[in-house]
Amino acid sequence: MPFHPLGADLLTTLVFLPTLGALLLALVPGESKAAARAVGVATSLLTFGVSVVMLVRYDPTASGIEGFAIDRPWLPRFGIRYQLGVDGLALALVLLTTLLTVSVLLVACGQKIDKLKGYVASFLVLETGMVGSLVALDMILFYVFWEVMLIPMYFIIGIWGGKRRIYATMKFFLFTMAGSLLMFIAILYTAGVHSRTTGLLSFSVVDWARASASGAWSLAPGVEALLFGAFALAFLVKVPLWPLHTWLPDAHVEAPTGGSVILAGVLLKLGTYGLLRFAWPLFPNAAARYGPFLAVLALVGVVYGAWVAAAQKDMKKLVAYSSVSHLALVVLGIVAGTGAALSGAIFQMIGHGLTTGLLFLLVGVLYERRHTREMADYGGVASRVPVTTALFLIATLGSVGLPGLNGFVGEFLILGGVFQVRIVWAAVAATGMILGAIYLLTLVQKVFWGPETVPANRTLTDINGWELAGAFPIVVLIVLLGVFPRPLLNLVDGSVRSLQRPVAAAAATVPATASAAPAAEAGR
Amino acid sequence: MSGFLHVTGADFASVAPEIVLCAAATLVLLLDAFARPLRAFLPYVALLSLALANLAGRDRTGTFFSGAVESTAFTRYIELVALGAVALAILGGAAALERDKRDQGEFYALLLFAAAGLILMVRGGDLLVVFIGLELMSLSLYVLAAWYRDVPAATEAGMKYFLMGALASAFLLYGIATIYGRLGTTSFGKLQAVASVPGVVAFDTMLEAGILAVVAGLSFKIALVPFHAWAPDVYQGMTTPAVAFLSTAPKAGAVLVLVRVLHALFPSGLSDPWRPFLGLLAVLSILFGNVVALSQRDLKRMLAYSGIAQMGYVAIAVATFTTDALEGACVFLAGYLVTNAAAFLSVAALSSGENAPKELSEIAGLGRRRPLAASVLTLSMISLTGLPPTVGFIGKLLIFRAAVDGGLVWLAVVGVFGSLVSVGYYLRVVYHLWMKEPVRDVSLVPDDVLSGAAFLLTAALMLLWGVFPRALLEVGRGAASALAGR
Repeated sequence: MPFHPLGADLLTTLVFLPTLGALLLALVPGESKAAARAVGVATSLLTFGVSVVMLVRYDPTASGIEGFAIDRPWLPRFGIRYQLGVDGLALALVLLTTLLTVSVLLVACGQKIDKLKGYVASFLVLETGMVGSLVALDMILFYVFWEVMLIPMYFIIGIWGGKRRIYATMKFFLFTMAGSLLMFIAILYTAGVHSRTTGLLSFSVVDWARASASGAWSLAPGVEALLFGAFALAFLVKVPLWPLHTWLPDAHVEAPTGGSVILAGVLLKLGTYGLLRFAWPLFPNAAARYGPFLAVLALVGVVYGAWVAAAQKDMKKLVAYSSVSHLALVVLGIVAGTGAALSGAIFQMIGHGLTTGLLFLLVGVLYERRHTREMADYGGVASRVPVTTALFLIATLGSVGLPGLNGFVGEFLILGGVFQVRIVWAAVAATGMILGAIYLLTLVQKVFWGPETVPANRTLTDINGWELAGAFPIVVLIVLLGVFPRPLLNLVDGSVRSLQRPVAAAAATVPATASAAPAAEAGR
Repeated sequence: MSGFLHVTGADFASVAPEIVLCAAATLVLLLDAFARPLRAFLPYVALLSLALANLAGRDRTGTFFSGAVESTAFTRYIELVALGAVALAILGGAAALERDKRDQGEFYALLLFAAAGLILMVRGGDLLVVFIGLELMSLSLYVLAAWYRDVPAATEAGMKYFLMGALASAFLLYGIATIYGRLGTTSFGKLQAVASVPGVVAFDTMLEAGILAVVAGLSFKIALVPFHAWAPDVYQGMTTPAVAFLSTAPKAGAVLVLVRVLHALFPSGLSDPWRPFLGLLAVLSILFGNVVALSQRDLKRMLAYSGIAQMGYVAIAVATFTTDALEGACVFLAGYLVTNAAAFLSVAALSSGENAPKELSEIAGLGRRRPLAASVLTLSMISLTGLPPTVGFIGKLLIFRAAVDGGLVWLAVVGVFGSLVSVGYYLRVVYHLWMKEPVRDVSLVPDDVLSGAAFLLTAALMLLWGVFPRALLEVGRGAASALAGR
């Protein structure tokens, strides 16, 4: 890949442009709504523009994660670097992040939000944390961005949230931090191992992955299991995988619209991104050994999430539990580790970000007007809000996996990939998909179709211009990716190929390890 | 002892910072007594003397007064810490004291004396000089603790601090005497020479009792569990700007002295009963401080328990005792100084007066009314939690890294567990500031230029050191290697 002198600056610009916007807002005195809107939309659009420039310049045939690489010393004596870079996977998620941030801020312009300045600033700081986590290649730098995401989200839920917002935001904070603190120790320990075995003091995941792949660091199985466990825990809490998911419904229900969109659209994806980028490549042996165990949890999650979602009366809770189910399927794809399963998992990460982000956005549109999320408070509102209904239907069908929309591609690839490894897993996962169709279509039916039962809905107004501007690009992408999935699959192909090798070998040994483990124990 | 008679000009020049501070303190006292109208300028006089003392202490290394006083990068570090802490206390406190008609010059004079004592304590090359410095600092602080002498809580704080402090001093002196009795010297250099002979220190019960007494005496000043009991009451009763000093620089000084004593006695690394013992102090402090802080409703008491836990993290570094760990301790303590001072000063600014209770519910909803002070308090809570991008993260990163590298993974795990618990009470402050409605109309201390400067300075340092920590790391590295190179 040719070296771009401007490319180096692109990543830094991408990461810190939103923070710059937030700082600019901090300098604006008073509560000026116009300034908050202008700065918020302009900054997020600019950031999105930068990410699009990167997409145009990116060379999808490259297989490393050093696209647009930038590598400068940060704390040189400790081997901690300011090292950024992207591969197709990271770039795709960066685009999702910057796009959803634009949407969220556009929607915020069209709704009544108290203390808008702080709201916008929080999302901009959050964007820096999210994008930074995606492009950081140094583990300490990654951890910094990872934790930076916590504070703005804490404020977003805690200030602009619903009735039980304090409980929800604290739970979100504690769960996420509990997971990541053990990873912090594991990072420090792994750096020690790396410097002892290779003589190189480095926190760079590029160096670590090389050492891991070449066998330069030969970790004792117990140590590797602990390190893998610490990494996986941090990311699985974020995903969230059953039974670590309990913070998610609370956070989603209490979060304001924008918070839910970003939470479902991006933050959860960072969990699966972490599994793909760090946990699996760095500790492949432990991943192979304990992968089947995670697969079982994922299968429980697929079915459990769908089952619980079907029982919900609150729209946001329903969508939240559907996320638990859908992301468990992504984890299953990651565990399976075949090329198709990984492509599907990554595709589904993007797809789920779009469809669920849009669902939360539209639920927010209804909530803004009626201040209720109970399905029973709606019913037959399709004639009052035709545009919202159409968009909601597209989002739902995308989420269900209707051919021609994006959800189909991801789910089909995952199930196909999983089928190659374990037929039973694929069968169980497929039932989750069927349940998904049931509860999501029931949701549409209860809210939009049928006779108009609640008189209060007569004054319901349709989606307004700002909100539509936020929702429209997502809808377009849902359809485009469903019809032309190839560009996205090409983009992430390099990442899939680099991830596939060790995992595919591991997947092949799954039945062998499973049957050999009892024998080995008996031998002891 | 005859060496003390040959005092040269260089010797006096070496203690120029202490001389400047004591002279300025005396000047402040005299001005206050004989030039009452100048009282409003006393804070500026004190600040000027801090700047002078800083200049006087630059670029000087060596041992002076026949080894009784030392100047190294290590002692330079404590000069900066002590002067910085006094500066913050003066900046943040001047307006509040003036409003309460408590702005007598003695306040500034006592702070300057305390700083002089603190610097002397760490620069002392001999346990007796250390003790003299410690007493000068402590006596000043006892008086400051009871500064609002008609407030019962303040007199209680002063009395309690004095009695407990006297006990701790007695322990320390007893330990020094025992060490002298067994090894025949109180000079660090000579102690180290004796201790370098294998087997001398390790197998002497009497000596171990002495070391234990010294560790206990210093742990009292640091407020490590189980020597912490004075802290919550003193913090609560003491005037808040003075606590901003008390809770930061003296603790840092005591940690450094502890490190020096241990380094002199165990030049080749901590031997066995001591490493687990310090580890135990760390664990107890982290768990006890964090858990008890959860149940506090008074902000200053909460910060007292948080301070106990924070010193537990430093104790992890002391137990690890590698150069990396000591560098981590220096960086952590510098960050803690800025962060904790910011916390106390903003608590003072968000209360309706020194005599008013500092209940957590009092600050409810003040984020909108006093955005600067509330933002600084929020930032300091984030930094105390150890979240990036603040200096609190950098300190913890270095300490935990050193502990993991030094084979003390379990201590690091306890440390992060404590950090998780601490989220509960640090974020409760943030919650009250920004997510609650004000309970009633609180009349606040008016804004003033000096405390505004303190807020901006501490906020900038918390963030700057968190994002670009290299300068701070160089200072910490210099201090730690100066100690190890002795």
